[in-house]
Amino acid sequence: MSTIAQIANLDFAYSQQLVLKQICLPIERGCTLGVIGPNGGGKTTLLRLFLGLLRPTRGTITIEGLTPRAAIARGDLIGYLPQNYNLPRDFPITVRQLARLGLAGKTGLLKPHKPDDLDFVDWLLDRVGIPDLAQRPIGSISGGQQQRALFARALAGRPSLLLLDEPTTGIDSSGRQRFIDFLRNLKHELKLTVVFVSHDLQAVTAISDRIACLNVTLHCHDALERLPPDLVHEFFACDLQAARVLKEKSKP
Amino acid sequence: MCFCPLAMSSLQNALVTATAMGTACALLSVFVVLRRWAFIGEGIAHAGFGGAGTAWILALLFPSASFLSSQQGVYSVAVLFCICTAIGIGYVTRNEHVRTDTAIGIFLVAALAWGFIAYGIYSHVRAAATPPGWDEYLLGHMSQLSPAYTAASLAICAIVLLVTLGLSKEIVAYCFDPALAAVSGVPVRFIHYLLIVLVAITIIAGMRLMGTLLVTALLVLPGATALLLSQRIGIVLASSATVGLIAAVAGTLISDRWRFILEGPAIVMMLVLQFAAVYFYRWAIKPR
Repeated sequence: MSTIAQIANLDFAYSQQLVLKQICLPIERGCTLGVIGPNGGGKTTLLRLFLGLLRPTRGTITIEGLTPRAAIARGDLIGYLPQNYNLPRDFPITVRQLARLGLAGKTGLLKPHKPDDLDFVDWLLDRVGIPDLAQRPIGSISGGQQQRALFARALAGRPSLLLLDEPTTGIDSSGRQRFIDFLRNLKHELKLTVVFVSHDLQAVTAISDRIACLNVTLHCHDALERLPPDLVHEFFACDLQAARVLKEKSKP
Repeated sequence: MCFCPLAMSSLQNALVTATAMGTACALLSVFVVLRRWAFIGEGIAHAGFGGAGTAWILALLFPSASFLSSQQGVYSVAVLFCICTAIGIGYVTRNEHVRTDTAIGIFLVAALAWGFIAYGIYSHVRAAATPPGWDEYLLGHMSQLSPAYTAASLAICAIVLLVTLGLSKEIVAYCFDPALAAVSGVPVRFIHYLLIVLVAITIIAGMRLMGTLLVTALLVLPGATALLLSQRIGIVLASSATVGLIAAVAGTLISDRWRFILEGPAIVMMLVLQFAAVYFYRWAIKPR
């Protein structure tokens, strides 16, 4: 399987404090990579490096052979769903216009959106289950519906790589299972590669093909079945065996 | 009516200028309010006063350069000073390491202090003479507008219209959330400076119309009024332009009819009345 992204010998430091050290991580095309680790372990920093918002102190990140900034500038390589995002509810746009904001980079300056891109956004709104809200102002929809609209926005540019930052925060257990099923189907339909950063070990293990355990350095990067339970217990004080059973149960 | 500025009467000149500036400022005011940049207009407008102060000091230092003592000379230095201040504010606030209101507050008081010091020095050296352009910078003077100024206002209005239409998706994405726009591939730094420079240019042009004390009203009230009227960006932009246009034309006509009322304050009162009417209308129709 080819790699879509490659992290090589990456170090990152805020001032003098080393947050990530000697990270080497290939991301295979079409896989779902779960990134777990304790608070301050560098998960969100890793995402910010992927998004080109931070520059590595040493080493490189490439996405389809491009630097993160070049990949972001293309507008059709990376989709991103932020953590706990508070929509500015008084901003005067509709749900459809919010989703279309995700096309701005792909379409380019001074050009109108392509009709098939606009159709794709409408398809996405349908797929995330809010087609009837398309004309509603964003301030008039619920938190869950806003999350769906943001999901459509993240996918509007038809990215190959989708970065999710704690997407299950604040979702109850039944909602979590629906989200996992939804993400699994969407990933298959859109042929996505997904990087899923989360504290939610049950969600990560249920959906990920491979798991990276990150605590400044990369402790392990492997399929769930081959992860050492004592390592995960050290990270999360969580029973990996129970998580494996859960994954089996959640398989379609 | 002929729209060649050279052939127009002073009232026609004033009306065309007010219409152009009212529309340009009103369109930008939507983005100014959405980005919570209301204070930015104050900062840049008062930078004009600092710029005028710089021109007065230069006029004292180089008495042979008569251009610096003329209104055009003072205006040119003020324009330069405003653009530098706008870029300075844009640079300091680009990563939001310094909060926007803090940065503007610092630039504002620095420019005001420098303007007053320069005023004091000029008056002291020139035996209590008032520096050139003092009244115009504080309150504006529409009756003395040149045809060239009217043409410049029309050009600024056209630029603002073209930019806001041509780059609407990028500007809206940037105003919604700069960080999210950046990770969607929008060149946010370019849009950030573009908006700051557009705001600076309209303020500089509007200063002759409204004066430094009141020009910010044109960059706040139309957008604030329009945002009470609708939650759809297209309607908000159109409403804001209409509010700005009505205030500019009505204020100019009122000032022409009753000469003791200055154009700037008349336009601002028209903007305030429209805001109050919309605010109370919303309050009246709000379900209880």
